[in-house]
Amino acid sequence: MIEALSRFVEALRAEGLQVSPAEVVDAARAVDAVGPERRGPFRAALRATLVKRTEGLTVFDRVFERFFAPPARGSGRGERAAKGGVETGGQRTTRSQEEPAPLRRWPAEPVRPRPALRREAERARPRGPSPETLRERLRRLQLSGERLVGRVRRVVARREVVPERHAGEPPDLLRRQLKVPATTEEERRLAELVPRIVEELRLRRGRRLRRSRRGRLWARQLFRESAGREGVSFTLPFRRPRLRKTRVVLLVDVSWSTARAAGYFLWIATELLELGRRHRVVLFVDRPVDATETLARWGRRALAAATPSAPPRGRPRPGEGIARRGDSFASLLGSLRDLNLEAPSDYGRAFHALLRSPLRPRGRDTVLVVLGDARTNRFDPLPWALEEISRQCRGVLWLVPEPRDRWGEGDSALETYLPYVDTVVEATDLEGLARGVGKLLGRL
Amino acid sequence: MSGKKAEELTPEAIEAGFEKHGFVCTGEVSTALYLSERLEKPLLLEGPPGVGKTEIAKLWAQFHETDLVRLQCYEGLDEAKALYEWSYGKQMLYAQLLREKTSELLAGASSLHGAMALLKSEADEFFSRDFLLPRPLLAAIVADRPVVLLIDEVDRSDEEFEAFLLEVLSDYQVSIPEIGTIRARHRPKVVLTSNDTRDLADALRRRCLYLYVDYPSFEDELKIVRSRAPGLSESLAERVVRFAQSLRKADLRKAPGIAEVVDWALALVAVGADGLERTVLRRTLGVLLKNREDVERVLQDLSRFRS
Repeated sequence: MIEALSRFVEALRAEGLQVSPAEVVDAARAVDAVGPERRGPFRAALRATLVKRTEGLTVFDRVFERFFAPPARGSGRGERAAKGGVETGGQRTTRSQEEPAPLRRWPAEPVRPRPALRREAERARPRGPSPETLRERLRRLQLSGERLVGRVRRVVARREVVPERHAGEPPDLLRRQLKVPATTEEERRLAELVPRIVEELRLRRGRRLRRSRRGRLWARQLFRESAGREGVSFTLPFRRPRLRKTRVVLLVDVSWSTARAAGYFLWIATELLELGRRHRVVLFVDRPVDATETLARWGRRALAAATPSAPPRGRPRPGEGIARRGDSFASLLGSLRDLNLEAPSDYGRAFHALLRSPLRPRGRDTVLVVLGDARTNRFDPLPWALEEISRQCRGVLWLVPEPRDRWGEGDSALETYLPYVDTVVEATDLEGLARGVGKLLGRL
Repeated sequence: MSGKKAEELTPEAIEAGFEKHGFVCTGEVSTALYLSERLEKPLLLEGPPGVGKTEIAKLWAQFHETDLVRLQCYEGLDEAKALYEWSYGKQMLYAQLLREKTSELLAGASSLHGAMALLKSEADEFFSRDFLLPRPLLAAIVADRPVVLLIDEVDRSDEEFEAFLLEVLSDYQVSIPEIGTIRARHRPKVVLTSNDTRDLADALRRRCLYLYVDYPSFEDELKIVRSRAPGLSESLAERVVRFAQSLRKADLRKAPGIAEVVDWALALVAVGADGLERTVLRRTLGVLLKNREDVERVLQDLSRFRS
């Protein structure tokens, strides 16, 4: 039984489900408790011990059905249920004809002091620094003062350099409206600017992180320490900012009118965010599709060989020229089977489906970034769905690839959504997109 | 094990026990509860609001004929509110009494050392169990029989509190600096619930058995409505459940939970309704739907939901 269980777990892992060794042990104990004879409790036992997220339940059910298929109607008791599975109809579980995979040996987890014990140790330490510590701190303070002067000099020098970086740049290219139709060649020329924008944003973020490493002067602590030492403070206490591990969900409209802006935006954003469980990408026209895996592979590995259907309007599909190492954004969109690029965009449905899906942004550590013009083609915008999402996450940042004077005009539902958006950025060109991504990085 | 002996505990026995209290318990729920008992692991129940997660924990306590200790989580909940607090009022009163008695107390001391020892023994009393106010987690740990500890809506608490829970749930012991470590005499049966509004940490999930509690199937919900609202006619009960199930598939702000469906069924009995006519719905739909926009939307498109 243990061997069959081990193979089942391997099959779950192959489908992308994370199952820890401790959970496998729990599963073995659970199967021992309920017995493998009856399919219902057996399945419930494995489900309760091996799957710990809603998203994993579908995968589990699929693999379970494949692995522990019920015996065919009318088959004998000893007949094998399925290749690679075990018989669940009879009393005895049998292995498949294949050789059992050897049980893995799992490394023991390293023993770390528990937080409470660390706190205890902290409390037990004698209060007040020793004279040696004080001398060391004084020396560090002098050093940090010198470093501070050096840093100011460097910042001043950099400020002088920054304008020169864009000096040779044709300004019209960076400010070219992304909603205006462009040829593939024009798209390609714009795409050449993206790596430079990414580099600039990366540098800016690095500077910000270095600045925040030490934190701000902590006035209250300074007062406390001074009071304890008759008004003399030996150290300047700085309050370090809490490291936030922000999750990001990018919800991007890839319909015809916004696909070009979406392509550049996703290129910039995916260079700066490591896509995976923490940062997700959801693309939509009329309904959301999880594109995290595909976007993570964009430009790194050849995408699935699906080619986009022929453009119906007799002109190249937006995104043909936005290519990373040969993979164009248009072909990336074409490789997403569930994405209907010919559908009219429907924001209400997209928000509602996102709200009901396990991908929805939730928790105070999550930020939702929307890129789109909010043109809903007269469908119900369902603003309450965005309100609900906004209530469940830390903030909503919206990048609008349309000039401000057109917001809310015609079928645009932007004004009904804006009350639930924390920051809105006009991102009609590459400069605007970079500004929007900069705002996002500021929240990480 | 309180109430039930180990050999009496089977998934079927749990189902029968829950049924007695009018709760339709599916095989998945009973197996998960049974395993949580056998493997001595906390059970994490996740699912939309109103599907009966908290009710499962309450009935679990009733099934075991033991107490339910409930910790309702919320943003900002910390160790002090979940674990223990010192009773400052009582300590102040004690200090006041001690001050008056100091001279009497020290009269018996022959030396300074003796006086200090006397004072020290009294000072230690300040941080003894007499002045400890146990909050739910400590109360469950020090209980003199195994209780059911319900940590409700754990997704509302902060990540720091979640990390703190890990320690308590893995060792069932609590360290109080002034007193020492208090170990559970009887392991509480822990049930955590989450409405899935925030992603819980993997570490916490790994320590628990997991059960996703979804809305019930048509048959199960009909059974619930029949048992909770026996005054409702058979055909109307079916229409009520079908109506509620169709609402859950619609784009509503708040889909009706089981408790709301039962309340609605009772409301229909109270008003003497024999069908789901527009006038009846207009009068009673507020029991089922808790949002004005949802009510208006459903009334506008009644034929879609009543079919």
